[in-house]
Amino acid sequence: MATLRESLDDFVDGVDRLFLFSPSASYYERFADGDVELTVVAAENTVNADAFVELPLTFDNVRDRVKFGIEGAMDRGFVTEGDTVACSVSVFDDDPDSLLRVRVDDSVRSGVYDLFTDSRADSGVVRDVFDVAIGLGKKGQKGKPVGALFVVGDAGKVMNKSRPLSYNPFEKSHVHVGDPIVNVMLKEFSRLDGAFVVSDSGKIVSAYRYLEPSAEGVDIPKGLGARHMAGGAITRDTNAIAIVLSESDGMVRAFKAGNLILEIDPEEY
Amino acid sequence: MQGGPIGRVVTAVPLRLWFAFATAVTGLVLGWLARLLTGRLLRRAGVPVVIEGTTFERTAREFGTSTVAILAAIAGYFVFGIGLFAAIGVADVDYVAQFWNAVAGFLPRLFVAVIVLIVGVVVGDKAELLVSERFRGVKLPQTGVLPVVAKYSVFYLAALIALGQVGVATAALIILLGAYVFALVFLGGLAFRHLLSAGAVGTYLLLRQPYTIGDEIRIGDVRGIVQEMDLFVTHVETDGEEHVFPNSKVFTDGFVRIHS
Repeated sequence: MATLRESLDDFVDGVDRLFLFSPSASYYERFADGDVELTVVAAENTVNADAFVELPLTFDNVRDRVKFGIEGAMDRGFVTEGDTVACSVSVFDDDPDSLLRVRVDDSVRSGVYDLFTDSRADSGVVRDVFDVAIGLGKKGQKGKPVGALFVVGDAGKVMNKSRPLSYNPFEKSHVHVGDPIVNVMLKEFSRLDGAFVVSDSGKIVSAYRYLEPSAEGVDIPKGLGARHMAGGAITRDTNAIAIVLSESDGMVRAFKAGNLILEIDPEEY
Repeated sequence: MQGGPIGRVVTAVPLRLWFAFATAVTGLVLGWLARLLTGRLLRRAGVPVVIEGTTFERTAREFGTSTVAILAAIAGYFVFGIGLFAAIGVADVDYVAQFWNAVAGFLPRLFVAVIVLIVGVVVGDKAELLVSERFRGVKLPQTGVLPVVAKYSVFYLAALIALGQVGVATAALIILLGAYVFALVFLGGLAFRHLLSAGAVGTYLLLRQPYTIGDEIRIGDVRGIVQEMDLFVTHVETDGEEHVFPNSKVFTDGFVRIHS
């Protein structure tokens, strides 16, 4: 067994920081007095850690989760490029079961952290829209898969770069994403064509919008349809972000500044 | 009546004393019933759940009882007390009645005072809990003073009512209360007047929506696209600048809708 332990020693050799993903209080305590600095990445700072990155979604994809944590730590100056960090994450169950060694460099910056914290819309609003889209992707509408396109933030500009396809069902209403009724409402309205426009503070401004951005220079993976193209393109022309639920493959994708930032499979949540 | 020691005792005691005794026993039974009924009513009304976690309830728990039990006991003793006085009245014991009459007039007020105090303490504690829960999301240490202020305001009111009940001169305290309420209303109104007027206009704007997100409008010298509107403010964005207007300004200055 000596070689296994030795290889682990090598593995954690020269690590600048240890990232704990959603640690329990006792697990955190075990490392608290250790020789390595800690960063906690979790939905809530329950352990009162000094270095803390808030996790808005429980990314099922470990790569996304780790990237989000490291990006957040870079953004707050806990780590800088060239550092080596170890991440204690859970892949299968809730308990931490794996240790990753990651070199912090620019390739880690996928923009996922940026998407939540540095968008025009509040991070809570972005999270709520994700929740709605994931919920919609899971259940569909009356069992059938549905597609949906949410344009979040910079609503004034988005409204001026789009036109109504029909009467706006949200006119003179004051519904915010995150309100409990919204899930039901959006499920019904998702059979309508067009985009949902959500303002910075989460108010649903309009449904049924036909987006008219100039699509040139938008780089989205081939094979995605008009909905993704429209969503990606509007984020180039405005400061909004687009969260798209694909009707064909059921994935939730997020675009910012014309780039595909994040891809989530609703079935895994 | 025939002989026998019991029969002689019965006849020896005057009839009105027997009546008095019966009245006292009835009072005892009624008091016990009142205690049972009050406890059950309070529990049915969901009082134990509402006051859970207040200091008074916790203290009561430490002594192996509960607020509801204490209130029920007070109600029971009150009814029993009435029965006792009625009994004394029926017994018609002169010199005792002289003294007890004064007490009888005073006791109900004392009971009310005690109940007001208990209710005041419980409500004050509850107010503190509610306010502090409301401010839990606001991570600002200074807000810790607000729950305490709310608590002692309720305590003060309860103490005032209780003292008034037992006939203590409370004029000075009432003046203090007046000054406090005046300060709260006047200074509060002064401090919040802009928010209030903006909110009043905001209600109109949100209900009627003369302009909405995405419209191009001009307020004063600023011409831009409405990005956001809520109860208090309207965000208007021009090239790279986001102006935040209080809604009251939208009304005092008026606004221009620009159709292009």
